[in-house]
Amino acid sequence: MIRYPSSFIFFVILFVGISLYQIKHFITKKEIELALIQNNIKSAKSDINILKAELSYLKRPDRIEKIALNRLGLREILPTDIWDLKDLVDVTFTLSHGEEK
Amino acid sequence: MKPFDFFDLDVRKENQYKFRKIKLLISSLLLIMSFTIIGYRTISLANINKDKVSNIAYTTKENKSFQKNLRGNIYDRNNKILATTISTLSLNINPQEILNKYQTITKLTKIFPYLKKEDLVKKLNSNKKHINLLREISPIEYVSLLNAGIEGLKIETTTKRIYPNNTLASHILGATDIDGKGIAGVEKKFDNQLQVGKDVTLSIHGGIQHITRSLLLDQIKKFKADGGAGIIMNAKNGELFSVVSLPDYNANNYNSILNENLFNRATKGIYELGSTLKLITAAIAFESNLINENDVFDVSKPLKISSRIINDFHPLDYAINIPEVIVHSSNIGSAKIAEKFGSATQLKYLRSLGLLNMLSLEIPELGKPQVIRDKKVLSTMTISYGHGISITPMHLASATATIVNSGLKVNPTLIRGKVREKNEVIISKETSIKIKSIMRLVVSNKNGTAKKAEASGYLVGGKTGTAEKINPSGGYYKKKNIVAFTGAFPMNDPQFIITIMIDNPKGQKFSFGYRTAGWVVAPIVKQLVTRVAPILGVKPQLESSPKFSNNLLDFKIRGKNDGANL
Repeated sequence: MIRYPSSFIFFVILFVGISLYQIKHFITKKEIELALIQNNIKSAKSDINILKAELSYLKRPDRIEKIALNRLGLREILPTDIWDLKDLVDVTFTLSHGEEK
Repeated sequence: MKPFDFFDLDVRKENQYKFRKIKLLISSLLLIMSFTIIGYRTISLANINKDKVSNIAYTTKENKSFQKNLRGNIYDRNNKILATTISTLSLNINPQEILNKYQTITKLTKIFPYLKKEDLVKKLNSNKKHINLLREISPIEYVSLLNAGIEGLKIETTTKRIYPNNTLASHILGATDIDGKGIAGVEKKFDNQLQVGKDVTLSIHGGIQHITRSLLLDQIKKFKADGGAGIIMNAKNGELFSVVSLPDYNANNYNSILNENLFNRATKGIYELGSTLKLITAAIAFESNLINENDVFDVSKPLKISSRIINDFHPLDYAINIPEVIVHSSNIGSAKIAEKFGSATQLKYLRSLGLLNMLSLEIPELGKPQVIRDKKVLSTMTISYGHGISITPMHLASATATIVNSGLKVNPTLIRGKVREKNEVIISKETSIKIKSIMRLVVSNKNGTAKKAEASGYLVGGKTGTAEKINPSGGYYKKKNIVAFTGAFPMNDPQFIITIMIDNPKGQKFSFGYRTAGWVVAPIVKQLVTRVAPILGVKPQLESSPKFSNNLLDFKIRGKNDGANL
């Protein structure tokens, strides 16, 4: 005679088996999705690296120097071009008082 | 019949026919279920969901090419990329899969005109199953290949290390091999960190590195020199803003460069840097308490020790004190000072300043100093003015920083914001102030050897050095010099160290045939300071201004004909 517990166990095993099969598939699917996302991230990082490298190439100091000197007419900063804001205020103050006199 | 009767054997015996039908029904159901599941799975696997399938295929393919992390980037102190890794496509071919070899060669040479026909014939007739045709192809070439529809081609994704600034800091960055492993410079030293995708931020300032390089290169060309080195370093924490070694190379072509260009003169090359070492001699003299700034030394006659005669380049006919020994760069004076404090004291300070050992800089290309340690009087004397001691320009920069940083040891570093141990005290604050004052006089005084280094407003101070170059086969070259300058600015509160060395400059018409440090190196220092000081945030100061804080000592320096006026 087949006992109730035996048939219960049979159904439980059947259920667990099917569940495991489903979980396994679910996990596999998620693993693929994860790998895909990770690859997308790496690919994006690689693209960012290329863009950064291109930017760095365009901002090469020798290139910027040439553009600044030849195209923009800029020149090197001389010590006389640099003023302390406080000194400027003092000079302005002296000049304005001189003018009043 | 109740449902539970199905499990009762007696009832089942009574209704055997009915139960057989039920069993058959259950079996059929299970079979149908099983086949349904198998069928569903078969259909789902064979499902023509193009996007999904290609995604999975892409994932599998990409997984292989991206198995490892992309190598980390190297940045300068302003987060500008100095080295990075990008993905590239390589062209491979399986000759066994090619049906029409002649047609394939024609198609390939049309897309890649630089491929030689003969080489292709040889490769395509090979018995191998995998041949690399090109390590790198451009996206346009890739599209052309796809359009050409050549069989047997395999295009693989690979990575490539690139250096967008080409020659900038090439000796510091180093290189990687074909497998992406660091083989030189920072790439080698930080290989483990970079391999796992971690970035490295250097203390190097791209702009300052470029200015140092271009000024040094101009001067090397002007004086037809063999090469040179230039260093700018933070005087307080040792962070290196520029480290230039010339001749240099394009870091992207490391493997096709001559060995000579790969040599790092700033950190690996050891040279006798001549009179720049007199600063150290003066510091030792003050620190030993055996001599003070008022003691005088007769330099009117050449000094004869054993078989050697010590001369001065600018002879004076009276006795001079330590500041004058340094400003006039007297070898005789320096030798007499060293004789007073002796070999043991000299070696003790050279060791504590790090001039007897290799530096602990973050690159593998480091030079080990060579010093005569026979403790003879002659050696002590010659070492005092930089002969018999070979060090790297980086050693000199480090020692200069220690002297001007109130005597607190400064270890150079290539890493921005490196956490440091507490600074060791090497010389006293008082000695440091005396040396700083003398260094300023070398540049500002009319008798100083580095007058051409004066950059108005930035209070440059330092010491020049001219030495005969060592002949590897013994002795010295009589007509080959090493010229150097080491100094700091602004001298009333030194923020940055400048050390420049030029190897074998030749006298020129415009220099009246001179090839000494004062003519060759000092002018670069002036230009360099004027250009980099605003970038470094050092403000120009007016020495005549009431706001000017002058903490330097005022030593009187006599000229060639002022002997009696001390």
